[in-house]
Amino acid sequence: MMAALLRLTSVFTALLVFALPVWAHKASDSFIYVDQTKSQIRIDLALRDLALVLPLDSNGDGQLTGAEVRTGREAITRLVDQGVTLSNTSGICQLTGRQWGLSRHSDGPYAAGLYQVACPDSLAPESLKYSLLFEQDPLHRALVSVTDSQGERLSVLAPDDQTLTLINSATTLGNSLKLFGTFLSEGIIHLLIGLDHILFLLVLMLPATLPLKTRRSGKHSGRGHDLKPRLLELVGVVTAFTVAHSFTLALAALEIVTLPIAWVETVIALSIAVAALNVFWPILGRKTWKLAFGFGLIHGFGFASVLGNLTSGVSQTVVALAGFNLGVELGQLVLLVVLFPLLYLCGRFRIYERAAVPAMLLMAGALSLYWVAERATAI
Amino acid sequence: MTRTTNRHTTTCFESCGLRRQSDSDPWLTALNPALRRRAFSIVALVTALTLETALAAPAAIETEFDDQEVLISLPSEAIAPDTLPETAPALAERAQKYLVQARSQGDPRYLGYAQALFERWPENRMTDRLRILRATLNQSLHRFEPAREELTAVINTPNINQRLSSQARLTLANLELVQGHYKSAHSHCQQLANEFPGLIAASCLAQVEARTGKAQTAYQSLLALTRRSPASDSTSQTWALGTLADIAAQLGRPEAEQHWRQVLTLAPDDLYTRAQLADWLLERGENEAVIKLTETYEQVDSLAVLRAIAMKRHNHTDAGRLSAKLEERFSEARWRGTLLHQRDLARYALDIEGEADTALTHALANWQDQREPLDTRLLLRAAQSAGNDSVQADVRSWLDQHDQRDARYPEVRS
Repeated sequence: MMAALLRLTSVFTALLVFALPVWAHKASDSFIYVDQTKSQIRIDLALRDLALVLPLDSNGDGQLTGAEVRTGREAITRLVDQGVTLSNTSGICQLTGRQWGLSRHSDGPYAAGLYQVACPDSLAPESLKYSLLFEQDPLHRALVSVTDSQGERLSVLAPDDQTLTLINSATTLGNSLKLFGTFLSEGIIHLLIGLDHILFLLVLMLPATLPLKTRRSGKHSGRGHDLKPRLLELVGVVTAFTVAHSFTLALAALEIVTLPIAWVETVIALSIAVAALNVFWPILGRKTWKLAFGFGLIHGFGFASVLGNLTSGVSQTVVALAGFNLGVELGQLVLLVVLFPLLYLCGRFRIYERAAVPAMLLMAGALSLYWVAERATAI
Repeated sequence: MTRTTNRHTTTCFESCGLRRQSDSDPWLTALNPALRRRAFSIVALVTALTLETALAAPAAIETEFDDQEVLISLPSEAIAPDTLPETAPALAERAQKYLVQARSQGDPRYLGYAQALFERWPENRMTDRLRILRATLNQSLHRFEPAREELTAVINTPNINQRLSSQARLTLANLELVQGHYKSAHSHCQQLANEFPGLIAASCLAQVEARTGKAQTAYQSLLALTRRSPASDSTSQTWALGTLADIAAQLGRPEAEQHWRQVLTLAPDDLYTRAQLADWLLERGENEAVIKLTETYEQVDSLAVLRAIAMKRHNHTDAGRLSAKLEERFSEARWRGTLLHQRDLARYALDIEGEADTALTHALANWQDQREPLDTRLLLRAAQSAGNDSVQADVRSWLDQHDQRDARYPEVRS
């Protein structure tokens, strides 16, 4: 093979060659990991490559020690600043150091830095430009891994291809849709599983399942003729609850207002008891929608606590929030569509309004008071 | 605070079922049990999604490291000069130095440094020597076509220095030989014999003849000529011995080992010869000898792969460690995409991982560029393992066409 030429040329050059340590020999690569879900970038540069462009070997003994690399940290950071740029339409994104140290790849030690990425518009960076070391070594490459909600993909940057698009509109839309779908179903599931929200809704719904006549004694209205006003009442209650909890869910999810979750959970439990009490003794008035609105505000913070768990690490909080909220509303709607006709039919029987409703209210009240006690002691 | 962190949830995930009420985490007790379970499964789901895609998970960042520890030894050339040599001869010296380094250490970074020199050097100041060096660089990077064109142009330059012309012709003959263009290789070797007669030209011719059906006579005549030649010319001797070894191996003669060992005595950092010998020993089941021969060469892919195979077959305690290292190297190389070492990768896939299809893919890609006996044998073996008859038939028909027979090819052994 090519050995032939070099055997011939070695007539002209006799070189003494020293064996290096056991690190593999490979072409020069930098490793860059962009994590869009955490808004972070990690940059690993081979010490051997860095020594080409920075005077790291300060004592000139041909060896790099830990101390020399530590001393070179500032210069390395400056080099990264010059040679690695993340940006989007709003401008160049700021890199803030999170962690710095040594790492290794198959061919030896690397200087590694982990940075938090903040773009001017707080959205994700859309492109990565890399220009280090190409001048010294045209065979140098930057091996780039990009992780977003769709997973990880690998790319390579080269002297004639120094810019990588981190986002393409198709995947962005796809990502958003997928994210939206995931959170929509989480919202539905959360509402249907969260017993306290269901109980609160049930308690709010119960009055509307009773014929109006029993609530306004003296006036007689024929059974079956008051469906429309009762439905309207129900819609009013549910809408008030929805508007209120959507509002506080957004406030909490966007971290505009934060409340201690233990207190929130206690008040939610209490709200069920109060609502149940209010059916018998309307201390807070006959207008159930006002009650629904007031306590809805607190329930929103409750939803947010679960959403917060899910969205840690999700960059598109707004999409997630919208999906989750819609999911909660859908779950609520499903519940009403199933329960209301059932309870409405039950309302034709005297035993329902005489015994079943008070029993349900009592049970809901008792359970919620138990929760209040449990949660309050935990605070 | 409206959030419970993942860490809390995970803690609970491990112990909640057992002591739900006494859970020490107040945030979690505040959530009702159904909610908590739900939250865990969601966190688990999100975690699973993140992990499943961790293709290229890097080693952790080590923030605490010892000041005194020597992390790497810098090769003196790593302090690359930012200044371009001023004269063409100075540039040629430097480029040649990089090429020799790349060759003798198996370190492709030097090829990059050499290319940087050529990219910055104006085209109108290229000399014949520089063009030969640039062609050699291109050949090393498997850019065979540009290399062939440049060498042909150098040979056809009017009034060219005789020595440079011979060097270009020898390089070109080698390129053609490696690629299996025996007719063209033979013609260049013949021309070389006219211009620059001696052991090198004779080796050139013998090599081509051996690969085209006349291995026996080529070996005998080159052996006789080598014995007659003065031992003082070590470059020519080394070259002839390397050729003799290769032909002996082709013939299945045990002298091959002896010739290769002679070459290594004269030129210990001839990695190509070392790999040929290691392969020969490996085929003979002399695993311990392979391990010894490759002792300090784990950094070179071709030798490391042979070493790993020998270690595996020998049930060496270090076999797993070396295989893991190679796995990391090859996964980085695949990510990079420009696979210079397809042959090594194919061999690794075939003999370490037992992945015949992967091996066949890489062996076939390698064979498009390089058709030396070891490339051909690897392809035949991979095709056999993968049960691909058509590839085997194609290769055999190509071998028949050139009347090439080799004791190392699998059909000979079976």
